[in-house]
Amino acid sequence: MKHYSDLEFLQLSKWQRFLYRLLSFFASIPRGLKNGVFAIGRFFKNAAMGIGREFRDLVTTFRDGDGNTKLSYLIMGWGCLRRGQILRGIMFLLFELIFILYMVFWGGYWLSMLPSLGKVGPGEAYDPILDTYVYQYNDNSFKILLYGVLTIFFIIAFIYTWRTNIKQNRIAEQILKSGKPLRSGRDDLRSLVDDQFHKTLLALPMTGILLFTVMPIVFMILVAFTNYDGTHDGYVNNLFTWVGLKNFNTMLSWTGAGGHSYAATFGEILAWTLIWAFFATFTNYFLGMFVAMMINKKGIRVKKLWRTILVLTIAIPQFISLLYVSKMFAKNGIVNGVLMDLGIISQAIDFMGSQAHNALLPRVMVILINIWIGIPYLMLIATGILMNIPADLYESAKIDGASGWKQYTKITLPYMLFVTGPYLLTQFTSNMNNFNVIYLLTGGAPNNAAASWATGSVGYTDLLITWLFKITTGAEAQYYLASVIGILVFVVVAVITLIVYNVLPSIKNEEDFQ
Amino acid sequence: MTNNTSPKRHMGLKASNAISNTLIHVLLIVISIIWLIPFVCILLQSFRVESTWQVGYVIPQKWGFDNYLSLLQTDFKRWYLNTLIIALVNAVLQTIIVLCMSYTLSRFRFKMRDALMRFMLVLGLFPGMLTMIILYRVLKDLGLTQANAVPGLILVYVASSGMGYYVSKGFFDTLPKSLDEAARVDGATRFQVLYKIILPLSKPIVIYTILTAFMAPWGDFVFARYISFGTSAGMNVAVGMYNWLNKDMIGSCYTMFCAGGVVVAIPVAILFMCLQRYYVEGVTGGAVKG
Amino acid sequence: MATVKLTKVKKIYDNNVVAVHDFDLEIQDKEFVVFVGPSGCGKSTTLRMIAGLEDISDGTIEIDGEVVNDLQPKDRNIAMVFQNYALYPHMTVYDNIAFSLRLQKIPEDEIYSRVTNAAEILGITDYLMRKPRALSGGQRQRVAIGRAMVRDSKVFLMDEPLSNLDAKLRNQMRAEIILLRQKLNTTFVYVTHDQTEAMTLGDRIVIMKEGYIQQVGTPTEVFEMPKNLFVAGFIGAPQMNIVNTELTLENGTYYVSPFGVKLPVDGEKGAALAAKKVKPGPVALGVRPEHIVLTKDAENAIPCTLEVNEMMGSELHLHVYTADETRLVVRVPTISLDEQTRKGLVAGAKVYLTFEGKVMHFFDPESTENLLN
Repeated sequence: MKHYSDLEFLQLSKWQRFLYRLLSFFASIPRGLKNGVFAIGRFFKNAAMGIGREFRDLVTTFRDGDGNTKLSYLIMGWGCLRRGQILRGIMFLLFELIFILYMVFWGGYWLSMLPSLGKVGPGEAYDPILDTYVYQYNDNSFKILLYGVLTIFFIIAFIYTWRTNIKQNRIAEQILKSGKPLRSGRDDLRSLVDDQFHKTLLALPMTGILLFTVMPIVFMILVAFTNYDGTHDGYVNNLFTWVGLKNFNTMLSWTGAGGHSYAATFGEILAWTLIWAFFATFTNYFLGMFVAMMINKKGIRVKKLWRTILVLTIAIPQFISLLYVSKMFAKNGIVNGVLMDLGIISQAIDFMGSQAHNALLPRVMVILINIWIGIPYLMLIATGILMNIPADLYESAKIDGASGWKQYTKITLPYMLFVTGPYLLTQFTSNMNNFNVIYLLTGGAPNNAAASWATGSVGYTDLLITWLFKITTGAEAQYYLASVIGILVFVVVAVITLIVYNVLPSIKNEEDFQ
Repeated sequence: MTNNTSPKRHMGLKASNAISNTLIHVLLIVISIIWLIPFVCILLQSFRVESTWQVGYVIPQKWGFDNYLSLLQTDFKRWYLNTLIIALVNAVLQTIIVLCMSYTLSRFRFKMRDALMRFMLVLGLFPGMLTMIILYRVLKDLGLTQANAVPGLILVYVASSGMGYYVSKGFFDTLPKSLDEAARVDGATRFQVLYKIILPLSKPIVIYTILTAFMAPWGDFVFARYISFGTSAGMNVAVGMYNWLNKDMIGSCYTMFCAGGVVVAIPVAILFMCLQRYYVEGVTGGAVKG
Repeated sequence: MATVKLTKVKKIYDNNVVAVHDFDLEIQDKEFVVFVGPSGCGKSTTLRMIAGLEDISDGTIEIDGEVVNDLQPKDRNIAMVFQNYALYPHMTVYDNIAFSLRLQKIPEDEIYSRVTNAAEILGITDYLMRKPRALSGGQRQRVAIGRAMVRDSKVFLMDEPLSNLDAKLRNQMRAEIILLRQKLNTTFVYVTHDQTEAMTLGDRIVIMKEGYIQQVGTPTEVFEMPKNLFVAGFIGAPQMNIVNTELTLENGTYYVSPFGVKLPVDGEKGAALAAKKVKPGPVALGVRPEHIVLTKDAENAIPCTLEVNEMMGSELHLHVYTADETRLVVRVPTISLDEQTRKGLVAGAKVYLTFEGKVMHFFDPESTENLLN
């Protein structure tokens, strides 16, 4: 594609300019993807180099260290204790002891069972005391997977601590060599509220995140490679075991009985999820901005009243609003009742898709009701930003002869988009996972019979996330399937985010031509 | 550009302005009505006494407090209490955790900072529901589910609340760093800087965080449903009332749902409206710092 | 005793940007030293390294003979006035000033006497119970100074304190800082980008550019003997005129030929050139606007055309250009002109300029160093 210089670009006609910018945008997408992939590659390369550096450092520290340092490779904290840093030394030593004890008594067992996820499932076994066959639960696949993963995390933590122990030995040697004193235990404690305060502050939140977010996600990713479901729950019914990439193959395969495959189902739901996220995000955005601008306009009275009425919607818990509105639009609900009383319609309209024929109306209704929920919030944000746009931009534009619409497209809109760009992206991805609105309004209805053959009832308004929920709480509870879907959702969202982040800057450069 | 000094032109400008303003006022009135209709309906329906199922008209034929009284005979009291406890505890604990996180990320520059923020960004892209399955099993083993869902839910909410640092961090970023530096030159430790200088200046964001932390549990459906798993004593209001609207119960519970909705909504709404100013400040100040 | 010694101090940021190169300086007790230079030259960074707000990448900083590289700001016994004052908005003026004293657990009655003392010196006693947002810029400035004053610290650091004030207030505060210095009698390190402030306030000036020290000297030294072209152009307003010309040597006398007019280098400058046996050749000739003289004698004078005549009150700033379009600036005291000459100084008028040898500065065109260093 020909690249124009500034002056050449300015000589093009309006259409040509538009086409040029459009083509540039599309041309930049592969570049954006490429940049993203390179960024990931660079990340891994840096990680590998970092690890290589660590190893080299370990070797040199051992080679150049004194006796205490060398002994610290085996007994953590030895160097610290011998150099008078009692507090640190004791903590290192304690950690090592706890780790060794754990590995000997429990860790070893869990790790050994990890490859198989349990050998002996529940079954009957002869109990000599009762002289009969008793149902016995033996290995627990779930626990093996869980504690196995935890053990691996623990090992990683131990390696990191051991490495810190080595590093501290080296630094301590250097400090002593240069004649300066080492930090005492009291100094260490004092620094926890001063220069090391960030560690103190982050300790609790990060522990929580590690245990309650990172660990479960790692676990669920691993589950995608097993056959963990209702009938193979790992303890009561059957053990579950590794199945490799089988689940991914199933999900992404185009074959399947009943004229419908997993991949097709996934594709349908993904398509609707993307369409929904797009409309939900952008209708709210522009309409919210529009309402904010209306209220903000000079000459509109009791601005506070309008804003308060809208803000009320945020105050009321969403589940009440959503559940009630969904019932309002039901076939025997208020809306249909009033419309029939007024004679506008003779038969109740199936807004919420209780019968499986028309998929379009429920989908439109969902988007419309989401507007009702979302506009107040967007209005608040837009109001805040609008108030920050310098007034003299508009004054100068008025003098230049700009109409209201021109002012909107040339001043307001660019400014808003610039400030809320990242926010739009996060809104889009969070709308893709917007469980409450869909589930509470329609529950996914109307039912998509063809797609439901494999995984239980799937509807035309189901998002990937509601589908996930139904799979995990349905009769069969195919957890492994849920994990696969979850991973695929993540991949989709991550790719979109990556593209947008790498394309946005280049769009901004094009904007400079305006 | 036309010359608008002639009187006729001048009036045209004024007139067109007046027309557009009137139009906008009308539009705003219509919008207000549309936005308020569901709540008006729910309020009216909660007083309907002649039937308890869903009907096609709005204004009750007979008025009364029956539905409110029947609330007291169900587990609604229990659910309300549960949700209230969760909300209060969450308000306190979550605020502490979020503020610790956002203050650190705003003020300190340490080696892992960028990596940490990017890591949490990626973590946030996973659908949150995925973690529920295993969390449920673990909590079950710890005895924190079903009847004991309240502590279980609190644990789940509070533990990963550190990931919601974005808005608060945006606020802290607007406080000039020279304040911190002046205090450190004056002799304060980092900890003293936090509670003597920064916190007194952070009233809006602290109130915002407390408010959102308090309001969130009232609306949570998925996690509460999962962890309470069918045991009524452990449900929160969202899960409990949801069940009232399923096919077998809606006949007798529809109006009770409306009454329950009013009882839940009114206190939360009043609290929100009182603290509205802080919420708006938090959203516009910190949420869209880009 | 409060000496400050910086030895080979270097500051390198994470992205390998070097902000300060090899900074060497010894500040004497009770000396008022000014770091001056354009934006980004590293002056604030160096000040913050002395304060302890930035890590020192290399080199040592000693305060009173003690190496402070690893000490926290609060342990270095320094006080600092920030550019935007950094007053605690939620505290009264009294509490702002008392803050550091309370952290040291000094008894309240002593705090009271110290704070009211400082307030009296600064003239802010009436505002002690007000909050910063109720004060004007100049008043906030004084509170910031007061906060630093009460600590009886060894070194007083000031980071562009006058930058946020309007011109008139700035002149006023400059005089007050000089008075303050006399009262406090301690070591000052002052950072500014304004060369006027540097010249009026400093005992010694450190001129910096892009992380390097260009020259260290008293105001007189840097004004009369600038070490290189940058210092020559930075100190003095309007800027020194620089002309590329040839330095020739004939019969033991040096000559320069700006714009084809041959001018002898007489007086001390000529003698200095001779003493240093400076070789003739291309040279960057520098003359300050106030040293150029208007002359009626067209011979041996540079012919110029007047472009702009700025009326400054007691003097005129004449912007002229020569035959080859080089622009020069001349400062002429109004009082030295008769009515007719002054009226004749309009755009397009022809003027003739000349100057003596003793006001000439000679710089190597390539290395920009002063030939007489």
